[in-house]
Order: sequence, then C-alpha cells, then structure tokens
Amino acid sequence: MVKIRIDDRELEVQEGITIFNAASEAGIPIPHFCYHPAFVPEGTCRMCLVEIEGVPKLELACSTVVRDGMIVSTQSDRVRDGRKGVLEFLLAEHPLDCPICDQAGDCKLQDYYEDYGLYESQFSEVKDKHDKKVDLGKHLIHDQERCVLCRRCVRFLCEVTGTEDLGVFERGSHTEVNLYLDNQVDNNYSGNLAQICPVGAITDKDFRFQTRSWFLEEAESICPLCSRGCSIQIGYHPGFSRFSLPKRVYRIRAKTNETVNGYWICDLGRYGYRYLDENRATNLKARDSQSRIQWDAAVTLLSEKIKRLYYMKRTSRITVILNSALTNEELYLAGKIFQKDLTDVNIFFADAAPESGDDVLLTSERTPNRRGALELGFDLKPVDMDILSSQTDLVIIFGTHILETHSLSDLSNAMENIPAKFVLAPHTSDLDPMVDMVLPSTHIAEKAGSLTNIDGLVQSFQSALHPLGESQAEWQVLVDLGKELAINFKFYGQFSNPKNINREMGKEVPFFGK
Amino acid sequence: MSEKQLSKLFGLENSHQIDVYIEQDGYRAVKKALSELTPETILDLVKAANLRGRGGAGFPAGIKWGFVPKGVDKPKYLCVNADEGEPGTIKDRYLMTNVPHLLLEGIIITCYCVGIHVAYIYIRGEYEMVAQRLEQAIAEAHAQGYLGNNILESGFDLEVYVHRGAGAYICGEETALLESLEGKRGNPRLKPPFPASIGLFQCPTVINNVETLANVPSIILKGAGWFCQQGLPKDGGTRLFGVSGMVQKPGVYELPTGSNLRDLIFQHAGGMKEGKRLKAVIPGGMSSPVLKADEIDIPLDGDSLMEAKSMLGSGAVIVIDEETSMLDVLKIITDFYSHESCGQCTPCRVGNPWIRKIVHRLCQGIGGPDDIDNVRRLADNIMGKTLCPLGDAAAMPILSLTEKFREELITSLNERRQES
Ligand SMILES: Cc1cc2nc3c(=O)[nH]c(=O)nc-3n(C[C@H](O)[C@H](O)[C@H](O)COP(=O)(O)O)c2cc1C
Ligand code: SF4
Ligand code: SF4
Ligand code: FES
Repeated sequence: MVKIRIDDRELEVQEGITIFNAASEAGIPIPHFCYHPAFVPEGTCRMCLVEIEGVPKLELACSTVVRDGMIVSTQSDRVRDGRKGVLEFLLAEHPLDCPICDQAGDCKLQDYYEDYGLYESQFSEVKDKHDKKVDLGKHLIHDQERCVLCRRCVRFLCEVTGTEDLGVFERGSHTEVNLYLDNQVDNNYSGNLAQICPVGAITDKDFRFQTRSWFLEEAESICPLCSRGCSIQIGYHPGFSRFSLPKRVYRIRAKTNETVNGYWICDLGRYGYRYLDENRATNLKARDSQSRIQWDAAVTLLSEKIKRLYYMKRTSRITVILNSALTNEELYLAGKIFQKDLTDVNIFFADAAPESGDDVLLTSERTPNRRGALELGFDLKPVDMDILSSQTDLVIIFGTHILETHSLSDLSNAMENIPAKFVLAPHTSDLDPMVDMVLPSTHIAEKAGSLTNIDGLVQSFQSALHPLGESQAEWQVLVDLGKELAINFKFYGQFSNPKNINREMGKEVPFFGK
Repeated sequence: MSEKQLSKLFGLENSHQIDVYIEQDGYRAVKKALSELTPETILDLVKAANLRGRGGAGFPAGIKWGFVPKGVDKPKYLCVNADEGEPGTIKDRYLMTNVPHLLLEGIIITCYCVGIHVAYIYIRGEYEMVAQRLEQAIAEAHAQGYLGNNILESGFDLEVYVHRGAGAYICGEETALLESLEGKRGNPRLKPPFPASIGLFQCPTVINNVETLANVPSIILKGAGWFCQQGLPKDGGTRLFGVSGMVQKPGVYELPTGSNLRDLIFQHAGGMKEGKRLKAVIPGGMSSPVLKADEIDIPLDGDSLMEAKSMLGSGAVIVIDEETSMLDVLKIITDFYSHESCGQCTPCRVGNPWIRKIVHRLCQGIGGPDDIDNVRRLADNIMGKTLCPLGDAAAMPILSLTEKFREELITSLNERRQES
C-alpha cells in the first residue's frame, strides 16, 4: 500500500495502480475517452490530464502509476485549462449534430463540455468532411465525423473477439477508423462496440432514431438466454403503458460484472430482448368460459383437480413439465409441492435445445438455470410421450419450450385424452388451444429471485420491469397453489417474496445455504 | 586541435569499399575493442567521452546503454536510426554513402559493449542507393569476418540487417520506429516502459542515430579525453552540420561541438548568396525554434542553444534570407507537421491541421492579428500535452516564429489582403 493525496483526500491505495484507478476508487471523477478498464491504457485522447506536484508537465491519470507520497491535483486551474484545450480540439472538427445523435444525453463529449468547456467557439474554418454512414455489419453504423479515435472499438475486436475487423487508416486529420478490406463486424459480440464507443460514432441499427436516451430508464437484470448469467441493463420507457408507445423495452446493454461477464454481453442477449414484449400472454384464459377468470379462481380450480387425484391416491397420474428458466426459488417450490407433498408426480423438463457456444461468454446451454435444477435434485428428464399420452390425467406445462422439441401433432395426439390440462407461460403459443386454461406468467426481467450459472455461481436479482397485464411470477403462483392444496399450508403461508423462499431453501439444500 | 573524424574520408574515391576503408586504418577500432577491451571498459569510455546523441534529443549514449538491464534471458537489439526525416537534415546520408563501414564499426562495438547479437538499420525509404551501399558493406564485412559468427575469433556474434522505411517522418521517432520495424503502423508508443527495458519485440533495445554510432570507433582508438577535447567537456566530439538555404556553399560541415553558428554560415558555408541578406536561422532542423539574424553569435552545442530557447537538434542549419516571407515559412512548417502527425493523440492530430487551415487562410490575405494570437494559443495547447515529442516539435517553431516575427506576419497579411 502507498499513501497519496488526490485533491484534499489522503488515500491509501494499492501499489502499482494508476492515478485513474486510485481516483475512481475514491469516487473522484476523471474525464476520459480512450481509457477503458478492459484494456491496457493507450494514453491517446489526452483528456485525463492531472497535475502532479514536482512534475513540470501535466501527466496522464490513466497511465501514470502512483508513487508513495504523490500529490495529485485533478482540479487545479492548469488541469482545467489543459482539459479544456484537449476538449476544444476534440470538438473543433466535430459535426455537432447532437439533435439527431442517438448518443445525446449519454455522451462524454456533452458531459465534459458542461464540466470543462463552455467557451465560445474559435473555430472559423471549413470543417473536414468524412463518411457519416459506414455500414460496419449486421448491427452497426459508423459515423466518422463523430469519431474521437479512442480506438476502443479497434482494441475490442483485437483483444476480445480476435476478429480484427476494424483498423485505423491514414494519418493526421485524415485519420479514420474503418473496416479492413471487405471485412464486416458480424461476430456475436458486435453490439458491445456501440456500447463502449464513448460518443455517437458507432450506433446500433436496432436503436438508431428510435427514442432519446433521456426518455429511458435503466434497470438491472440477468440475461436468461444461456447459462452464463450475464448482468444486463434494460433500457425501457417508463411511460409505456400510459402513452401507448410502440415499444416498452428499447435496448439491453451489458452491466459490468467482474466475476461473470466483465463489461460485455453477446449479441444474442443484447438483441434478443424482443421476447420480453412480443407474443406475451397477458390474460388468463379458460377454454369453456366466456367470462373472465381471476387468478384466485384459477388457482382454486387447479388445486381442486389436483386434490381429487391426491385423495384417490392417483398422483402418479399427474404430469408436470418444468423448465430450467425458472428461478432456484421456483424450482424449489415446485419440487416441494410435486415431489414431497404429492409424492409420485411425473416430472419432466422441457428446455430450449442446446446450441454451440463460444469461448467468450455464450454457453451451449440456452437456458439460465440448469445448474440450479441439478443442485435441487432434479434429474432433468425430457418429456416421456408415453406417460403423457397414456398415464396422465392432469398435466401442467410450464413455458412453451416443449414446442421446440415435439411436433404439434404429436403433442395434440398425446394430450387429446388428458382430462385436465394447464399451461403457465409468459408467451402465447400453439399450446394454448390444446389446454383448458392458460395462465400468463413472467420472465426473468419481471421477477425477483436467483439463478445458478454454469459455474455454480448463485446470483440474485430484483425485478426490472412490471409484469405485463395479468401475468404473475411463477413463484407467486406456486405459493398460492401450495396454500390452496392445504397439504402443508403453514409451510407456504410463510412466503411473501423470493427472499424468504431463498432463506428456507438454504436451510434445506446446503448448496444454497453457503 | 580538432580533427575531422567523421568526414575525413568524404571525397576519397571508393571510400565506401572495405579495402579502401581498411587501407585508411579502418576496422582498427573493432580489432582493439574485441581483443583488448571488455564491454565494461567500453561503456566507461563512452560515458567518460560524453558522447551525446546526434539524432535530435542529445541524450548521452553511454548512459542510455547503461539502462539496458543485465542478466535478462531475452535477446537484446540495436536499432540504428537512419530515418533522417527532420527537414534540413542530410548528414546521415553523407555518412552512410561515404563511410558505411565507419557506421558498421560503431555498430559492432556498441553491440559488443551491450551484449547484442542482432542490429537493424532502419533507413529512410527514399535512400535506396544508400541502402544498397549498406547491404554491400554488410556483405563485405561478413566476407572478411567482421560480422557473423565468432567475429575475429573473439567468440562474439553479430548480424546486421537493413530495413527500409516507407516515407513517414514519425517513423524516425524511436518507438514509432520500433512499431514499424515490427511490421505495424508507425505509431509512437506510450512511455514508460522505455525501449531500453521493453523495446523491439518486447525485448531490451538500444536506439541510436547513425552519427552517434559513427563516433564510437574514434573514442575506442583515441580515448575519452581526446574525444572531449574535440568538442566540449560535457558534449564531446565533432558534429556534422548540414547547412541549407540561401548560402554560397550549402553542404555538410564537420566542426567541433561548440563552434560558432555565425562562423559556420559565413566562413565554412561561404556566407549569404550574392545580394542576399540574412533574416533568420533555424539551427537544428525544422523542429527547433528560429533564431533572428542578431541571435546567431552562439556556440553550437545543446546547452547553449537551449539557453537561447532553441535546440541543436539534428544539426540541420536552415538559412533564411530577407526576401523570404516568414508567413510562407510558417506555412511550410505547419504543412509538414499536419501531414506527418500520426493522428494518434488529440492535440497533435487536430491542433496541427487547425493551425494549418488558419495559416493557409492568412496566406490568402484573409484574417487579422487575432488569428496569429489564436495560432499561438493553439500551439500552446499542443505543447507538452501530446503522446510523443512530435507535438512539441510542431509547436516550438510555430511559437517562436509567431513571437519573433509577429510584426512581419501582420505586414505580409495586409499586403496579401490588398493584392487579393
Ligand atoms: C518526430 C520525431 C522524428 C524523429 N526523427 C529522427 C530521425 O529521423 N533520425 C534520428 O536519428 N532521430 C530521430 N528522432 C529522435 C529519436 O526519437 C531518438 O531520440 C534518436 O534516434 C535517439 O538516438 P540518439 O540518442 O543517438 O540521438 C526523431 C524524434 C521525433 C520525435
Ligand atoms: S468509433 Fe467510437 S470507439 Fe471507435 S475509435 Fe471512434 S470514438 Fe472510439
Ligand atoms: S504527438 Fe502527433 S505524432 Fe506524436 S503520437 Fe501524438 S499524434 Fe502521433
Ligand atoms: S483517458 Fe488518459 S489519455 Fe485517454
């Protein structure tokens, strides 16, 4: 540890770290463009200037390592003038098209101009022209006039994906970032470029001109599309329901999570957000009823049907199809009800089929909680169609993934003679006409709980969005069902949120008690 | 007193051939170094001689070699900077054309001293004939046992390769040179780390200018004391000054370090061309701040020029006469640096082209004294804030010229406004 002073703060910091990192740890902001914690500092934007006592020149915070006794000033007049000079250069040839720029409101050039600029422009020359619409590939557009040449994008493609599609060409005022030959940026991580570009130079085709960033709110969640469990940030319009806007969710971005995904997410997770709002099941539907049903009536009906079989000692004729996109807490409750209380229920899992992963983040398991299901003792058996067709009197299907592995005709043949059929799923699907009742549920972004990723890391999360329409989280439905069944009422009576379910689960399953 | 060491053989027929060179006592220094001296003694000698770098920055060579860490198990490299890109500089070309073996001798001794077995000569792309001469000299030295394995039975091995640049001034900056040599875009590296510890291919590397290395053989043969006497105690030896511009006899002159600038121009270079009067001198290549005609009674050594707020740089003396417009000189300077900025860091990439746009406008008679103030303000915002010294190299001459010739610039501007 070394002792340093930054402005008025006496700090004790790790030896060998940079002034920038020491300042960040202490919450002292330092303006920067080229520095990004994922990469070795390159020191090219020159925005992070600081003054070090006894050093004649201004130095770079991003690349200067702390020394014991160092006295650093981040706000002296010299520092402010230095930064202002750099910013003036960055803005001199900049097109100043903020009114039509997606980055506006979220842009370091704007932020720092508020902090350090606020000068009258002294640039009275004709600005250089560059290409404003370079198509970089499937998801991205590059505006060379807005580019500050921080090389974050270039470094990302060298160091993270290794695809090296972008390079720096020409020099001096002609310097530009561009594609090598006829390359395209079309790897599964390309969307990160729009996110790490500190200005509006790389924009996301999916987000371009859709909304203004200041209309959006951001909430954290976990990506459910593979078993990595990347932290995500969902940008949504809070006034969606009131203003009948075309979209609720406008974008998903990576949320920094050092232990899981670092600073990135894959394009599958980034652009896969449509599942959040498209084809949603928003109302309870019962086949033989024209009038609307309420949740409590639906749960009572379900529980009555289960109880009848239970009293007849025929629970072996109940089939439950779970999935590993359910949270640990939900799977724990399902296990409790269907395995412990009702004893010999048939339990199967229907999940999205595995696909090939890569060695960055994406795993081949396209479901977020396989590991959690295993730790809870499920054997993740796939659906046995014989049992479904000839040994089932009541089926509850969680989710709609079964449609990915079985044909519609096989399913409808198998289910034809089952007297009681229920679906509990976030999306409408071809299952709906086959069953007696469709119960709308939520997905990960609309609920709280925890997931166990491929490495066995249990990550809890809060709900980011309100459940759409009448949809309810599965844990809530299972708690209500448990209470209604009244086999073990007291046990379910104690649960009012995923947290207390989690606590109980930790007592019972040592893996979750850690 | 002082003898010509570097240019002694300039003009001698076939001085570039090894036989002629050996006849003139060539390769004696290598023989002496390899058979009689240890690397440590050589390092002490070069330190005591106060041999300063001739490439521009004037850093003492012995101290630089001493920075190379000992006992690392990576290879070490010598990179000879023969990029000679600083406008006005012509000395290295003369050296390499006339006495390539003198450079090779310097390389061999330096490598022996530092424990290096591979040296690269990074030569300016336009110097095609010179590069061929070097290749030929290397082949000759190989044939006679001065290069290759077990040189002169000493057990010391060395290979020398010539690498031609592709025409970028920035590749003369030592770390950009390393990048270019590695096959990458010639962008300067952020320091630290310094090349002495992490240089070419991440290995310890010494980078020296051609002329710096060409001084080494005479230090070996005649000693450090003698070398200091040739120049100044703290800045030993002679230097090759390349004089260009409005003088009678432009060319390369070898004079003791510390010689007077006025003498160089008016005696050695024959004074001003017929009917021309001296207005200004750029004393050390285009990056060095300009001196006015009444400031040239000055010794040509690093410290004295620093005191006069200029630089000895690469020893390229550019002589400007009364009829040359300083506005045009300013235009040439800013054209050059805008064009040669690698574009990596903000102040240099944007600042230089911005200054250039203003100066071009002024050259058309559009603008006023405010623009000159703005040029100075911008140069000041570049100064000291860039990643490599090219930023300062651009800002310094602009700042000095606009300070010393402000009135003239305004007059030219007004004249051009009336003309247009
Ligand atoms: C922009 C720039 C261009 C340079 N060009 C050259 C050059 O052409 N030749 C040279 O020897 N040194 C050049 N230098 C200086 C080198 O960086 C380095 O200081 C020198 O090669 C070290 O050798 P020396 O110590 O023997 O002088 C240049 C420096 C800068 C900043
Ligand atoms: S496009 Fe963005 S990330 Fe890439 S260099 Fe330009 S400003 Fe930086
Ligand atoms: S000062 Fe100029 S040449 Fe040097 S790194 Fe910066 S942009 Fe490149
Ligand atoms: S953040 Fe330090 S130079 Fe860019």
